[in-house]
Amino acid sequence: METLNIFIKSAFIENLVLAYFLGMCSYLAVSKSVKTAFGLGLAVIFVLGITMPINWLINEFLLSENGVFGTDLTFLRFILFIAVIASMVQLVEMVIEKFSPELYTSLGIFLPLITVNCAILGGSLFMVSREYDFVESLSFGLGGGFGWFLAIIAIAAIREKIRYSNVPAALRGLGMAFILTGLMGIAFMSLMGIDIVSFTSAAQ
Amino acid sequence: MAESTIQEKQAQETKPREPLFGKKQRKLITDPLNDNNPITVQVLGICSALAVTTLVFPSFIMAIAVIFVLAFSNLFTSLLRKRIPSQVRMIVQLVIIATLVTVVELTLKAYNFDVYKKLSVFIGLIITNCIVMGRLEAFAMANKPWQSFLDGLGNAFGYGAILIIVAIFREVFGKGTLLAGTPLEMMIIGPSSDYWIDTTTSAMFGWYMNNNLFVFPPAAMFIIGVLIWVQRAWNKKLIDVS
Amino acid sequence: MFSSRYIIMFIVGLTAASALVLALLFTGFKPMHERNEGLFKKRAILAAVDTKLETKVKNMTDAEVEDIFENDIRQIALNMNGETISSDEITSRGYKGGQPVDIDMKKEKKKPEPDRILPLFVYDNNGEEIYIVSVRGNGLWDEIWGNIALEDNFDKIVGATFDHQAETPGLGAEIKDNPKFSENFIGKEIYDEGDYVGITVLKGDARDGIHEVDGISGATITCNGVTEMIVRGVKYYQPYFEKQNIIN
Repeated sequence: METLNIFIKSAFIENLVLAYFLGMCSYLAVSKSVKTAFGLGLAVIFVLGITMPINWLINEFLLSENGVFGTDLTFLRFILFIAVIASMVQLVEMVIEKFSPELYTSLGIFLPLITVNCAILGGSLFMVSREYDFVESLSFGLGGGFGWFLAIIAIAAIREKIRYSNVPAALRGLGMAFILTGLMGIAFMSLMGIDIVSFTSAAQ
Repeated sequence: MAESTIQEKQAQETKPREPLFGKKQRKLITDPLNDNNPITVQVLGICSALAVTTLVFPSFIMAIAVIFVLAFSNLFTSLLRKRIPSQVRMIVQLVIIATLVTVVELTLKAYNFDVYKKLSVFIGLIITNCIVMGRLEAFAMANKPWQSFLDGLGNAFGYGAILIIVAIFREVFGKGTLLAGTPLEMMIIGPSSDYWIDTTTSAMFGWYMNNNLFVFPPAAMFIIGVLIWVQRAWNKKLIDVS
Repeated sequence: MFSSRYIIMFIVGLTAASALVLALLFTGFKPMHERNEGLFKKRAILAAVDTKLETKVKNMTDAEVEDIFENDIRQIALNMNGETISSDEITSRGYKGGQPVDIDMKKEKKKPEPDRILPLFVYDNNGEEIYIVSVRGNGLWDEIWGNIALEDNFDKIVGATFDHQAETPGLGAEIKDNPKFSENFIGKEIYDEGDYVGITVLKGDARDGIHEVDGISGATITCNGVTEMIVRGVKYYQPYFEKQNIIN
């Protein structure tokens, strides 16, 4: 039940983009058409879902005091996390290139940029600071990825429509995208009413 | 980056020595402040840091951290640029950045624990701040160390400036204070006599209340959106670059 | 182009160099990190008795905090039956320092209730004993915690501080940011003619003025969390005070 809660919480309520601004670069750059946004969103779900459990294992068994080396190696956390993420992204890149060359060309340079998508590293760092266990971190990874996916699809759809609207020249494009993201953030904030605590205690 | 462009740039480097602070060098610093601002024009690096802009002081520390990381990672990458194998350059850059960010984290934890607690995971997220990677890839891999260092400084200043502007708006309108958490704390407007403008007694500002919306994340988006609007209305050549 | 051998050597060399630098820095800073973490905790505990101190905790230097902790505070660790436990037992639970202040309430909260251990701080206010207890519970988003100081035979609150992991800024986060919220607790009583009632945080106006305090509008769930945390958390300490004949 706790696992489901974490999924819902990370996908809707504490959305990585709309509540923490994570992964904004590719979110703004790749959200001009729904199709590419869809592909990138899926890739992010996949990378988040796979790197979180791996980073959890690394943090627990290599870096912590109770791990293999028996000393506190937390100062290597950033380096190892980012290395795992970079190699997983490489993997995804190879898979997409093989199975969907079309998507590969349209995602272009943004695929390697998933490595520096703050949502991925941010997810892993949140996982450490919130002390999730293995299953929880998997659920947080998938939920967070799904939330990111939802947000980028939504903004891409809005941006496709708003191209026909009469926006002041100076606000066109980027400026409008920021304001739209803010409005979406407010919309998502209304989901705060979901009472996670009583949800959990009712389940217990 | 293609092998040929790197060689081209390297060929250019055999020119006579340049002054340390010539016109070209100054431009490296001033350009990112307006015409080529990393946030409002290049759309890089919004990710990691905006969540910390609810207060000015942590934003200021964040800006300093980014300045340090960006300038030095640019410098080190540029020093190593001829030795970095291009197949693994991304990993190499990330290792350099991650090391510098860990240095910042360890130092902050030792010297300013309160701010360390406030910034928490967002210090680590400097690693994935797209500005850092972006500048390494676009500039430091092809330019001399001193220029790269200046380019790093300039871009980080441009970034820090936006960060602090956003934070000032959010802190003043959201909490009614400025620089809270430092000895310089200013209580500007609020419902008690500790503030400069006391809304309980002031006839002019009696209606005023702190706007909680400014503390929430969407406010940062609105503020940047409006900043971009203002900047482009004033600097017409930037319109529709994206 | 570079050979594969060169590439591997380069990566290994670079990583080893970075790891070495970081390891040195980490070892060098470690004493400062530990001291900072300790001070952060001690300040939060002392802040609960802020009204009884000459200088506010906020304005104290680190040395002053350490000094008060050394001279005026007696630390006790308890198990759930109200028995005091030794320093060795604290160490065996995984807290290296062996002091009650080293007990991590976050780790304890994850254990089943009967297995938990609790820190108790007794502040000596010129002969009068003030008991500072630590409580931890759930807010809206994540955990909330606090320290509550009680005088008058473990009945009357003299101060309280709260903190949180991730409550909403401007709403739930006010339990920490707004000093008025914790000031409300001062003078309230947790016993009603000998029966334990705890403190209730109410949404609107608190009427009885003895066991109820005003909540924060818009942050009902966080406030309910505070109520639950106090009612449950302070009660954990009751067996000890019964054993000491401080309460009946």
